[in-house]
Amino acid sequence: MESMKKKIMEIEEIINNPENIKTVDLKILFNSFLSEIKNRIASYIGDYPTFIEPVFLEENVKIGDDVLLGPNVYIGANSEIGDYTEISNSIVFENVKIGENLKLENCIITKNSTLNLRNSNLSNCILMGSSDSEDEIMKIKF
Amino acid sequence: MVVQTKKQVQQDNELLAQKIHQNLIDNNIKSFDIVGAIGAGKTAILEKIAEKLAQKYKILVICGDITTRVDANRIEQYNAETIQINTGRECALNAYHIHQIIKNKDLEKYDVVFIENVGNLICPSEFILGTDKRIVIVSITEGEWVIEKHPMLFKMSDIAVINKIDLLERLGTNLGKMTNDAKKINPNIDVITTSAKTGDNIEKLIELMGL
Repeated sequence: MESMKKKIMEIEEIINNPENIKTVDLKILFNSFLSEIKNRIASYIGDYPTFIEPVFLEENVKIGDDVLLGPNVYIGANSEIGDYTEISNSIVFENVKIGENLKLENCIITKNSTLNLRNSNLSNCILMGSSDSEDEIMKIKF
Repeated sequence: MVVQTKKQVQQDNELLAQKIHQNLIDNNIKSFDIVGAIGAGKTAILEKIAEKLAQKYKILVICGDITTRVDANRIEQYNAETIQINTGRECALNAYHIHQIIKNKDLEKYDVVFIENVGNLICPSEFILGTDKRIVIVSITEGEWVIEKHPMLFKMSDIAVINKIDLLERLGTNLGKMTNDAKKINPNIDVITTSAKTGDNIEKLIELMGL
């Protein structure tokens, strides 16, 4: 747990300076963090999504209908996942709102972001900001 | 939203299952999909198998349940690695679930993969998972009509296990009828009676699985 916390803080520090991200270093840290995730799905708001372990949910996570989470997914506190969305191998920081019908794989979503990118399929990138369109969202490949 | 017909969904599932199977074969992994009703003894039989084989093989067990990891915790005690899939509202595992796990695993580490499907005799017949063999487990407590009432799963399976034969004397179940029903539905199916409780015929089942 302590090591997980330390790593997530390091990842946050790196992505707080998007101009200086060394993607190779970030990828190593990202993979190391995901490999440490233990299943923690005891408390969430929503009706029986599909979980492929390990999935780690912080407090007060809201999950919509027919959502598929996992494997290797971390969701930060107070984040919301919309109906029919699918997330694997990804880190979602706190206070994020992810809309309906989005597929994310190997992604990091920075805190306070809102992604209403219906029918999009995104992989291997950092996503930040708030938008209804894939073209407007800040996207850094890694 | 793209709405797929049942046929399209099954075709997609089949393609993915073929991909999974090839991946498992390429890594010299033997694989088994275990199906059966709640309480038939799927987990108990897997516990016995893991107990006998964990020294010989590196075993991965993927457990499907709508919620909890009760079964995975039980099997883990016998030195098999487990991954739990909680399907929520879905009554069977599908190839996509398995693909998501397989593609994230270093398959060179394993010799045998077991998939314990969600407990019921209906939904799993909709989706093949890309394993070498499917094993359907029923118990004599489900009644001697259970096989003829659920033909699809027996048609699609390679081995039918009739479990809990330690209760045979007390229940007086017609085992001959159950065996004949399975053979009538699928002449190629191997039928074996077991007791996970006493360990009766578990070795024979392992042999039948080619392990």
